Amino acid sequence: MIHEPARLLIVAHLYVIDSADYVFLMQRAGLTWGNLSSHLSKLEEAGYVELIKEFVDRKPHTMAKLTAEGRTAFDAYRHQMKALFADLPDESPGSG
Amino acid sequence: MTRKALLSEIERKAWLQTFEHGLWDIAIGLLWLSFGLSILTGIAWMTPIWVAVALPAMQQSMRRLIAPRIGHVTFRGRRRRSMSRVTAILTVTALLGLVFFLLTSWSTRSDAPAAIDWFRTHMLALIGLIWGGALGVAGWAADFPRLYTYGGILFGALLGADLGLPYNLAEALLGVGALITAAGLILLLRFLWRYPPLQESGTEGALEKRTGGDGSA
Repeated sequence: MIHEPARLLIVAHLYVIDSADYVFLMQRAGLTWGNLSSHLSKLEEAGYVELIKEFVDRKPHTMAKLTAEGRTAFDAYRHQMKALFADLPDESPGSG
Repeated sequence: MTRKALLSEIERKAWLQTFEHGLWDIAIGLLWLSFGLSILTGIAWMTPIWVAVALPAMQQSMRRLIAPRIGHVTFRGRRRRSMSRVTAILTVTALLGLVFFLLTSWSTRSDAPAAIDWFRTHMLALIGLIWGGALGVAGWAADFPRLYTYGGILFGALLGADLGLPYNLAEALLGVGALITAAGLILLLRFLWRYPPLQESGTEGALEKRTGGDGSA
């Protein structure tokens, strides 16, 4: 779930902050609104993200926040990737 | 680069973006302008008026001008605490301004104690050191690098006045205030040009970019 590049970017941003709205995530992650909406829906279905919908100045406003499950999943992903690449030697220039 | 360093960079970039708009610079510049005007006009309550007017104005500007462009984000504990510290530092700085104004007025009176004379002799350099230092500390506390520059400019301007350059305290503060306010305005204009407003539409999760009159994307 998190490995998909766009979702990884979204989750990484939500991991380091407390919460953010769609405008922030769209602007920081460089996604179109359709992409962002789709990925956030998937993350919400997986239980990794909580979407808090409200109205501000009579306009819809949605804040996204990583759940505890989402933080645990991201931490697990980080450790997996770290372990995966830990044994790889540094590639010297020009090697095949 | 480790994964943690990349995450720190993401967080820091998000944090620095919250200062990119220049509103804080405008607020700080206007603060010094209000100090300068207070001294020039002898009206001590100009600074409290600034605080009473500027803070709500800034809050509204953030909501109506800034948030539609870069969105709204809440940071985790460390950053939240740093903003509280900055607010406290700037509030204390404003109060110190009032205290120094009153001390300055008192020191010119014939019944003022002799000890005040030392203060009066080196007043400008002392004020510059304290206020410039306060801005520097606020810059460090908030991870807001421009405050270091503003603190340095303020200290330099007041030190120059103390060393005999041809301007007084009020003029120094007006000059520094105007400079910082102008910098803030430039940053704000650049920000408004760089980030077009975005908004969520009435449909769930849908976002649309505001376009020109013809509605094209």
